[in-house]
Amino acid sequence: MHATICDLITDLTQNSIEAGATEIHLKVEETKTNLNVVIADNGKGMSAEILGKAKDPFYSDGQKHKHRRVGLGLPFLFQTAEMTGGTATIESEEGVGTTVAFSFDRANVDLPMFGNFATAAVTLMAYGFDGNLIIERSVNGKSYSASKNELAEVLGDLSNTESLTLLKQFIQTNEKEILNPNI
Amino acid sequence: MAKMTLEELRNLRDAKKKEMTQRDTNDKSAQIIIGMGTCGIAAGAKEAFDAFLDELNSHEIKDTKITQTGCMGLCFSEPTVEVDVPGMPRVIYGNVDGKIARRIVKEHIMGKALVSDHIFDKPAADIIK
Repeated sequence: MHATICDLITDLTQNSIEAGATEIHLKVEETKTNLNVVIADNGKGMSAEILGKAKDPFYSDGQKHKHRRVGLGLPFLFQTAEMTGGTATIESEEGVGTTVAFSFDRANVDLPMFGNFATAAVTLMAYGFDGNLIIERSVNGKSYSASKNELAEVLGDLSNTESLTLLKQFIQTNEKEILNPNI
Repeated sequence: MAKMTLEELRNLRDAKKKEMTQRDTNDKSAQIIIGMGTCGIAAGAKEAFDAFLDELNSHEIKDTKITQTGCMGLCFSEPTVEVDVPGMPRVIYGNVDGKIARRIVKEHIMGKALVSDHIFDKPAADIIK
């Protein structure tokens, strides 16, 4: 499995980007007991047959790499859920989109560390795709949201050092606020 | 720093724009392309991303682009990073952790010398003929 939950989130959200989604909603919620994540996209979706295979680590549609016989993103999710007593679901409809959702028990000792959400958010927003990514993040009831289109409108090109630095500061300050129990 | 709003972000951006000295806006800027597939992520590509951004900032290098790509097919040498500095061979570096990322900024991007011990892919044939 991935070393951190944020690595898992990055990986799974990239699937939405690669599915050609123009709208991706990423919801990451931490409550006292649970970690709930939903990644919903309007990408190309999958047929029931392909969806069944997508959970198999030795399946890949072969489009990215012709001779590749592995696809580990989704299997890492189901492995993590299985090993930590969490739940994970994936729903998909061809031509409509895909929704991946999972809920983990934060107290489970086998749960990977949460990781660095600011970097995950920045790398996803700066991944270089045309669609929008809307992040809704909440910790114990406090929340913020960030929209890639809005941020790109403010910052311009999201690949130069300056924009990336400002983008990271924006996410970091918002993270800090919702993580601080005293505000 | 207090929570930043979009408006504050816009103001900061405008202030930075004014600070900027006139820059060469053609395609001459260096580019760092980080492999961010499942394999790259698992091997620490995000740490490399953070280190590149931090090191570029600490040397006030503003015209280098950092972009990402999926798996480059070199999963065993992740994190892999391609570096393209104008006038130098395009190089793919392997096993780029935070420390190596900082070396790449200092030695390759600033010093115009390859970080030879981490080159995975040798410079293209037309360059070493």
